[in-house]
Amino acid sequence: MADAVLATSGLNVRFGGLLAVNDVTLECRRGRLTGLIGPNGAGKTTFIDAVTGFLPNNSRGSVLLEGEEVFGRSPHQLSHEGLTRTWQTLELFDDITVRSNLDVASRRLSLGAALLDYFRPRQRAERVEEVMDLLNLGDIAERQPRELSQGQRKLVGVGRALVAESSRILLLDEPAAGLDKAETEWFGAQLRGLVDQGYTMLLVDHDMGLVLNVCDYIHMLVYGQLTASGSPEEMRNDPEVIAAYLGHSGAES
Amino acid sequence: MLASLRPIERAGAAALGALAVAWVVGALLRRELFFDPVLFGLGSGAIIAALAIGLVVAFRASGVINFGHGAIATYVTYVYVSLVSDGQYPVPPLPNPVAPIEGIAGIEILDFPTFVSLGDSMGKVPALLIALATAAALGLVAHFAIFRPLRYAPVLAKVVASVGIMLFLQAAVVLRFGARAKATEPIFPNDPIDVLGARVGQDRLWVLGTVIVITAALWVLFRFTRFGIATRAGAENERFTTLLGFNADFQAGVSWVMASVLAGLVGILVAPITGVTPNFFTVLLISSLGAALLGRMSSFVIAAVAGLMLGIVDQELFRLELEWDWIPDIGIRRALPFVVIALAMVVRGESLPSRGALTVERLPEAVAPRITRGRVVGYGALIAVAFWLTVFAPFQYRGAMQNSMIGVILALSLVVVTGYVGQISLMQMALAGIGAFSVASFGTQAGVPLIPALTLAVASGVGFGLIAAIPSLRTRGASLAIITLASGLAIDEIFFRRTGWFGLDRIVKTTDPPELLGIEFGPNSGFVLSDGKIPTGGYGLFLLVVTALCCVAVMRLRRSRLGEQMLAVRANERAAAAAGVNVAAIKLSAFAVSSFFAALGGTLHAFNLGTYGHDSFGIFASLTVLAFAYLGGISTVGGAITAGTLFSEGIGIVVTNEWVIDVGPYTAYVAGFFLIGTAVYNNEGIDGFQRRQFHQLGAWLRRRWDRRVEVTADG
Ligand SMILES: Nc1ncnc2c1ncn2[C@@H]1O[C@H](COP(=O)(O)OP(=O)(O)O)[C@@H](O)[C@H]1O
Ligand SMILES: [Mg+2]
Repeated sequence: MADAVLATSGLNVRFGGLLAVNDVTLECRRGRLTGLIGPNGAGKTTFIDAVTGFLPNNSRGSVLLEGEEVFGRSPHQLSHEGLTRTWQTLELFDDITVRSNLDVASRRLSLGAALLDYFRPRQRAERVEEVMDLLNLGDIAERQPRELSQGQRKLVGVGRALVAESSRILLLDEPAAGLDKAETEWFGAQLRGLVDQGYTMLLVDHDMGLVLNVCDYIHMLVYGQLTASGSPEEMRNDPEVIAAYLGHSGAES
Repeated sequence: MLASLRPIERAGAAALGALAVAWVVGALLRRELFFDPVLFGLGSGAIIAALAIGLVVAFRASGVINFGHGAIATYVTYVYVSLVSDGQYPVPPLPNPVAPIEGIAGIEILDFPTFVSLGDSMGKVPALLIALATAAALGLVAHFAIFRPLRYAPVLAKVVASVGIMLFLQAAVVLRFGARAKATEPIFPNDPIDVLGARVGQDRLWVLGTVIVITAALWVLFRFTRFGIATRAGAENERFTTLLGFNADFQAGVSWVMASVLAGLVGILVAPITGVTPNFFTVLLISSLGAALLGRMSSFVIAAVAGLMLGIVDQELFRLELEWDWIPDIGIRRALPFVVIALAMVVRGESLPSRGALTVERLPEAVAPRITRGRVVGYGALIAVAFWLTVFAPFQYRGAMQNSMIGVILALSLVVVTGYVGQISLMQMALAGIGAFSVASFGTQAGVPLIPALTLAVASGVGFGLIAAIPSLRTRGASLAIITLASGLAIDEIFFRRTGWFGLDRIVKTTDPPELLGIEFGPNSGFVLSDGKIPTGGYGLFLLVVTALCCVAVMRLRRSRLGEQMLAVRANERAAAAAGVNVAAIKLSAFAVSSFFAALGGTLHAFNLGTYGHDSFGIFASLTVLAFAYLGGISTVGGAITAGTLFSEGIGIVVTNEWVIDVGPYTAYVAGFFLIGTAVYNNEGIDGFQRRQFHQLGAWLRRRWDRRVEVTADG
């Protein structure tokens, strides 16, 4: 428990009559890659939204970030606290360069800092260069996201979430969707590499393949409820998981 | 039904109910105070309601809030009036193809027709039919030439295009019929009748009846017919409409025709009662926007009822202001549309039903200026030319330069808030007015020296701007455009049209020329290099310095972190928030910076004019500023500079008038035309267009050069 970077308990999100996230209690440990799987519509994205401050007013629950209660804070505050995310639909800043995409997210801009930066133009943010090296974005730094391939765009999304100076945990919403098998494997290896360097992540995906291969520990969400948790081996043989996946998206895909 | 409302809506409904009961009791006790105004108010309310349901039709058809709706009503009404009174059908003003030759040769080759005569004067019915056919044609053009191509465009382009329609049609009316009010013969019987002891013109009740019938018909059409149901689906999801077996495009076209015929019909029916002026319906449209917003741009019934209520409340306040002295005379009545729109925003929540367009096209690119040798040379040359034009050139150019430089600063105010942060503001000239009126109050009236007076005036503008920016924290897009328009109207009505600190001295406001260190440098003050003609160069020189500083400041803003965050907010608010950007703070700072430039532009404009009234700072001035800023290029400093040359009496216009063709009376018309064109075909404005040409030219030259090098290397 002590080394949980993120721990939610009793998280509830309701849309009208639909309980999209139902009493979800889970934790993500430091230096681990935690997986969250579940069929489409299970509430995975809503879970990330709720944790990162995008929630309807009637949500309830507790979100502890390294032991501190952060539930109900606004998204930008949470980002400053080190809780960063990517988006299923990417949501890049399409009309500024890749470097600017990262720059914007790289550090908190107080009014004072903004004025200082305005009158004494910035030094380049080292953190941005670091992350660009890490993800090999150097070549496309001056391009705009709309000019990039889908895989590159995904990396930019990850970079933007990683670059926050204070980043403590990264929530990835279906980062591998739309990538082919080889790309997915490559992408998984990249993530694994980051985690092995000490990053903490929550990887959300509806497709089990990637998650089973790279994660340390996995939770499964079905209709808003956590129905199973365990190591990849345990999950592979869990009757709940098999039922959910053969019952729902097994037929789908 | 009540259960489905949100708590705040329920509270609102309860308050309305209580008010209605109190009103009925009041009407029983004092009929003349609480019943008569209702009856009179229904007449004007009917016009507001009719325009409001037209707005709803257009919105449901294509997700556009048509700021040009009132202007369509105006144009069609003038066509009708002209046909009835002298059988003349106006030819839309078209460019005379040989005009440049005529201009240079100083002769008239072609007498371009302005009217086609259709007999002496025409009966009302054929005139009505022809006018409504014109309306239908306008609707078709609006759909096929403008809003259909803009289907996937960002909201900004749609708002700008509809503002363009408004400017264009109003200018067409002024060109063909003049700016004076027109009256026409009654259509409905107009002898007064008794209603429960109150005497009211019968024609008003006829109009009311017509509006009720139309509303009911639309309600039925959209609720029960396949056409209406498919339209509703279309507003939410285009693909779905197609699945229903309807051609979404055809449907939108039909709705546009309906909306514009409706606009024309309203205009024609009320013209005999109220008379028409070129901007009559557009001013009323602001109230209608409030009513339509209350119906979330989708309910005919709510929109119509809200429109009627607006008319009634307006009359009631008018009556009460006369009766009860203790009601403060702060023009609250004329600010009513603002109050309603603000309420609609709070009560009905932030979002309009959005159109499920599949993709949204890109916004105009906010190019980051890079310092290259070419650019330094270019800007150096620009400043040199500007300097010569401002100080040494003949007086008409000097004056034009002053206007243009003020225009540049006003346009910069929009570059920041609209170009960089994507928030549409239609109140910039109101903020300019706050600067203009208060600089005279602080400086000339209170005797504060120039620098502190300027500071105070600009700070006042920023204060007003920040207050008016609060809704931007909850709304965006077209809703924000509407509320800023209404804010501008409210500021105009509450402050500028009456005497006061932020208003007039008596009928105008006068400011002394600026003076620093004992040296006076107003447009008419003495100046060392003077040629004895006015304006002298001193004030222009001052403007040149200020304008250059402003341009540099905005360029630096674009390259700063703050600027980058602004662009991130423009691109995607949610993602920006998740990336740690405080979206509210960024929006407010953008509005603050923007108000700073607007108010500064206003103070400079005040010194330039010396004596000025409220009309320089009304809503039409604000719309025109947006038009020019967008035309020049809304998201770059170069665009603002281009915009400055286009401003009325600006250097571009004056030079064109003297050297090419006298566009004088056609300025607004041409500007409206090009504004629509810019919105539809080139959203980066003239500046972006030029930039692309330069790039192409550069690429071509480079290719030539490379080839030559290759050839030499080979040989
Ligand atoms: N803003 C919203 N309003 C109403 N319902 C929503 C909203 N967002 C998500 N939902 C519903 O909540 C459920 C969970 O959605 P989501 O979190 O996107 O699932 P997942 O990411 O697991 O595919 C779905 O049934 C979805 O329709
Ligand atoms: Mg999802």
